[in-house]
Amino acid sequence: MATDHRSAAGTPGHAAPGGPSAKSAGLASGWWKLDEKTRFSLLLLAPSGIMLILFQIVPILIGANASFRDWSLYDPQRTWVGLQHYLYILTDPNFLYLVLPNTLLLMFCSVSIGLCLGLALAHLLNRHFIGHALVQTVILLPLMVAPVIASMMMRWIFNDQFGVVAAVMDALGFGSIAWLSNRWPSFAIIVFADVWLWTPWFTILLLAGLRSLPKEPYEAAAIDAASKWRVFTHVTLPMMRPIMAVCIVIRSIDCFRTFDQVWVITGGGPARQTEVFSIYAYTEAFVYLNFARGTAAAIVGAVIIGALGWALYKTLNRFMEVSR
Amino acid sequence: MLKRNALRRALTYLTVSCAVAAVSLVSPAQAQEKVLKVGYMKNVILEASVDMMDTWAKKNGVKLVRIPMAYSIFQEKVTATLTSGNDQFDVIWHNDDWGQLWAKWMATTDDVKGIDRVAKSPLDAFYREDGKLTVVPAAHTVGTFFYRTDLVKPEEVPTTWQEMVDIGQRLQKEGKVKWGYVGGMAMNSTWFSLWWTMWGNKCDIFMPLWERDNKKLAEAGWKPALTEPCTKEYVEFWWDAMNKWKISPESMTAYTRDEANAIFMAGDAAFTLIDSVHFGDFNNPKKSRIAGNVAMAPQPKGPRGEKPFAWNEIWGWGIPKGVPEDRQKLAKEMLGAMLNDIDGQVKMWNETGGPPPSLDAWARLEKESKDFAMLKHAVFDQNVGTHSAYYFPAWPAVHKAYSDTMIGALKGKREDIPKALEAGMDLIHKAANSGQ
Repeated sequence: MATDHRSAAGTPGHAAPGGPSAKSAGLASGWWKLDEKTRFSLLLLAPSGIMLILFQIVPILIGANASFRDWSLYDPQRTWVGLQHYLYILTDPNFLYLVLPNTLLLMFCSVSIGLCLGLALAHLLNRHFIGHALVQTVILLPLMVAPVIASMMMRWIFNDQFGVVAAVMDALGFGSIAWLSNRWPSFAIIVFADVWLWTPWFTILLLAGLRSLPKEPYEAAAIDAASKWRVFTHVTLPMMRPIMAVCIVIRSIDCFRTFDQVWVITGGGPARQTEVFSIYAYTEAFVYLNFARGTAAAIVGAVIIGALGWALYKTLNRFMEVSR
Repeated sequence: MLKRNALRRALTYLTVSCAVAAVSLVSPAQAQEKVLKVGYMKNVILEASVDMMDTWAKKNGVKLVRIPMAYSIFQEKVTATLTSGNDQFDVIWHNDDWGQLWAKWMATTDDVKGIDRVAKSPLDAFYREDGKLTVVPAAHTVGTFFYRTDLVKPEEVPTTWQEMVDIGQRLQKEGKVKWGYVGGMAMNSTWFSLWWTMWGNKCDIFMPLWERDNKKLAEAGWKPALTEPCTKEYVEFWWDAMNKWKISPESMTAYTRDEANAIFMAGDAAFTLIDSVHFGDFNNPKKSRIAGNVAMAPQPKGPRGEKPFAWNEIWGWGIPKGVPEDRQKLAKEMLGAMLNDIDGQVKMWNETGGPPPSLDAWARLEKESKDFAMLKHAVFDQNVGTHSAYYFPAWPAVHKAYSDTMIGALKGKREDIPKALEAGMDLIHKAANSGQ
């Protein structure tokens, strides 16, 4: 194949070396140098690669370009303004003292509660009991519900007039609570919705982890007459750390960009009190129609979560190394 | 080498066959059929308006494609479509809130047949800088005060805020309702609590009060009216309504129009204020427990109000400038037919409660419909002193900043209201200048 290409490139009428045709000929040459299996694998990967480039990489690049320009949705001038939008965001007190703390708090609460509940449910499902399949299906149900639908459900469940929670509170004599019009109750509902949606995800991964653990350490612990709690803390948890670390990192990154739950349940309110990073970026881009500032906010958020994810991964990795 | 050549040949044959098949399948149909695509918010009134267009389309061999969208994404999606210059929609739902945002992207509509037979003042939001109109009205949207006829006699209907509080509390004490008044207050439902009382107290968002000329507002520096006594009075009214008199639920600061309507239709409130277009829902026994017991009245006045305030805006249709000339012409014909379809507009009113766009339909309905006469008295005959929005690009940002300031003030202590309003001055001023 390579010989065939060289002979073609050397024939009269072909472009000089270094020209576009020579480059494409070089690429083609590289392509045919690969073995058939590699070529086949690359061909299979090509559709998803193209989709990734078209629908992820290109929009990100367009967004990054827009963030340095005067680009409103209703009148896009596209004039270069440099770091103006980034400076606005990084000096905006709402972003620094409200949006970022809310985002990090949501991330911490949702991930830690989801992890604990997921671990507990994974333990439950790791045993055999009557109705195991039914319980497993019920536990996994939230994974099949779209976040928007789940969030609408939560909004009405906690409605102070018609909600189930209001009815129960009324019956218990507590009166109705204005859940959604106060900061912390509405924030708690957002956390609750997020935990409800994502605990099954933790459960599945941790259950897979539990089922793959070796039996020998448990047998040794049984010979030593270790209590169940000690077995859990001294055998199960250390062995589960790698999978828990992966869960924490992936889920933290995902939680940082939570949008649906917050938008549907509170819209960031009351008076921006539950606004998180994704709502901030969305509001700038699509409520104020300032596409440039919205994308700048999104990029600032991406940098923050990138750094945070990296730090989290390094910390957890070191923690795992030490525990070994 | 052989493999390569075979592969190339196969790919060439495949591409050519696909192209031939596509051309042979698509071209004849497209050549024969004229298609118009209408993008709109999913809503019974707009559906009824599109029905009128469809009647014309069927008679004239045009295929009408309906593209309904959720309100929450409509403005963003269509704005992006307009600025990209593509012709995804031939006709789009147009609203005074974004009338100025889209003005430069819209075709003119002064030449649409029947446009001279519509109310003029609601069109203010839709003129381009060159004085050309960019909308064809579909229906009027007017904030309307509704009351329960099974609880309140017509002569007892409150005409002032104080009377509304007194009657509401009386009905609550008698155990007839849970709440005196309920209305949306969260962002984008601001009109149904805060703003009707703001205008009803001769107040406004910016100084000079009730001014809508952007040049004059700019000359005044887009100064918010938050520190005016009239603002403090109406904010304190709502604080008291929720926390002291308890005629409205404390959670109302988080209610959208949907939640407020649900409470009213469940029979739990005596009064509400919402677009008149909900009259149909309120009287629909399948949806509402108070069907047949709802009437309209002029808005109660604040301490500074002299005559009941009302606003009168429209929903309309627009034609994007990016649409090719021939389809623009066709769209204008269709919208003209809708505007002159008086029977269709009367049917729209009867079925949905959407006030029709043509004054000819109004004249007929005044004689034929008791409900329309009631609406006319409640709204159109009152003090339509200003518009229910400002018409400049930064309006969405101003609305959000204003809503956040007010909700913040209402969630604090009563004595802190002036401080919260003072703090909002800079926020709203900045929002107003964000799009300049």
